[in-house]
Amino acid sequence: MSAEQLLSSVPESDTVIVADLEAGIGTLTRLPEGSVDTTLVIVEPTPRSIDVGQRAVLVASERQQGRITVVANKVADGDDEARVRAAFNDHDVVIVPVDPVVTAADRKGASPMDVDPEAPAVNAIAGLASLLAETTGT
Amino acid sequence: MKIAVVGKGGSGKTSVSGVLARSFARSGHNVVGLDCDTNPNLGLSLGVGDLETERLLSLRDQIDEDEQKHAHTWDDILDAYGTDAPDGVRLTVVNRIDNPEPD
Repeated sequence: MSAEQLLSSVPESDTVIVADLEAGIGTLTRLPEGSVDTTLVIVEPTPRSIDVGQRAVLVASERQQGRITVVANKVADGDDEARVRAAFNDHDVVIVPVDPVVTAADRKGASPMDVDPEAPAVNAIAGLASLLAETTGT
Repeated sequence: MKIAVVGKGGSGKTSVSGVLARSFARSGHNVVGLDCDTNPNLGLSLGVGDLETERLLSLRDQIDEDEQKHAHTWDDILDAYGTDAPDGVRLTVVNRIDNPEPD
């Protein structure tokens, strides 16, 4: 069963499903319309990453893949934040700061939450979860 | 709520997905992490470790083989091909990627 088949056939329930799709926008282009309630577009503040993110936003909008939220990840300063906000000025943008805890977790093959549950990036993503829960009434 | 997480390779989408899933679980939600990436590492970001992440990968082929015998339901997939991650997140992998993008 492919990701597309599975995601479009999950029964309605209170369960929160977090689907980490393949890198790029391939799965998104094949996902049947209206398969998900929310699309999170993760971008680094780099031109290539922003470019892929803009294409993802376009496809998710056209195919009605729910509410679209952009996550500006690895943001180091105000310039980074401004660059992402300018590229996605029609959408909600949530800022996740660059954080050595995430790099350390990657190296260990561990979850950032287990390395430091109070790390700035972890707190920002926890805030994103609260925001999504509020906006969708979950 | 079904959430699709997308982005360029290297953007950190798997780290965000893992922390997001556990954050929902810690606030009392029933959560499933679905690893659809061609390079599946969501297990690591959720904190299940190397060995369990590898074991899940080996199950992907099994899903395909078994599907020849009977069609899977969502619950089958979660029960038979998933694992328990910290904070009560259930993690499973999706096997077949039809046209993976290189990046």
